[in-house]
Amino acid sequence: MVVEHIHVVKNILVGNDQIAEINRDRFTAANVLALNVMASPGAGKTSVITKTIEALRDEMQIGVIEGDIAGSIDTNAVLAAGANDAVQINTGGNCHLEANMVQKALETLDVNQLDVLFVENVGNLVCPTHWYLGEHVKMCVLSTPEGHDKPVKYPQIFSISNVIILNKIDLIEMVDFDLGSFYQTVRALNATAPVFEISCRTGQGLPAWIDWLRAQKQAYSQA
Amino acid sequence: MHEFGVMTYLLDAVEDKARELNAARVLAINLVIGDRSSIVDDSLMFYFDMLAQGTLAQGAALNTRRVPNRFRCSTCNTTYEPVGIDYRCPDCGNIGQMTDEGGEFLIESIVIERT
Repeated sequence: MVVEHIHVVKNILVGNDQIAEINRDRFTAANVLALNVMASPGAGKTSVITKTIEALRDEMQIGVIEGDIAGSIDTNAVLAAGANDAVQINTGGNCHLEANMVQKALETLDVNQLDVLFVENVGNLVCPTHWYLGEHVKMCVLSTPEGHDKPVKYPQIFSISNVIILNKIDLIEMVDFDLGSFYQTVRALNATAPVFEISCRTGQGLPAWIDWLRAQKQAYSQA
Repeated sequence: MHEFGVMTYLLDAVEDKARELNAARVLAINLVIGDRSSIVDDSLMFYFDMLAQGTLAQGAALNTRRVPNRFRCSTCNTTYEPVGIDYRCPDCGNIGQMTDEGGEFLIESIVIERT
């Protein structure tokens, strides 16, 4: 018997990440920009996606993979907004999407027809941060009623996001959301991600977000 | 509850490595987990005991080294572990910048037995 100490130094979820890379290759081959949309339940993930589709439906084809514990309410909403295609994944209680669930959804969603793909994760600020799905952009949506202290309580999601949306900005006076404190902690965690203050209800701030996404898609397609 | 999924993938990765090395069994698994990872040790252990049954890692020691969330203060040029409700440097009060320390989520090493 020989006992050996072997150095591994690999991400614990290496198996998930390998499948995510296969998804990524499919997105790249189809020239589709994929965004992983993460937020708490009720922050407005679906509203941001539907408003974005309504703004861009005449210039690009947008698909959505909807991750939910159950039901298909959000899939119906994004199709009504003009999504080119949408597929529902019911996780059956799982608190996040995993790369193999997206891989399975890609069996029925034709990415070759798309320019942009939103993958709407299960509402949760913790679990989705571990699971790379193959996306190009990690997107975090926070809403003002949740409070400005969320970056301190859930640092990982704010630190890994490439873009941060602050939704329900029209309610800011009513919910005592301290913008200064929010930006201080977000910038301590993430120096570079753009932050867009928007309201899906009034439309405030949406054009700046749409312009940014359009520019990301153009830069991605030219790379 | 994501510790269940995490442990499933972790055991797959450990078994793959152990088989590649022709190990008879795995004696220990050494993890490095940063505090930002929101992983609960007790929950990991619970699923490990359940899911390792019948694998090469059954009965192995599962060791976790926790790494605190560390920030860098550009004024003092030091790193610190923030306490309280914001990320202020305990020496000068400025808000520093997060470092990579605290985000770890790694299988650092395994101890195997070969016949």
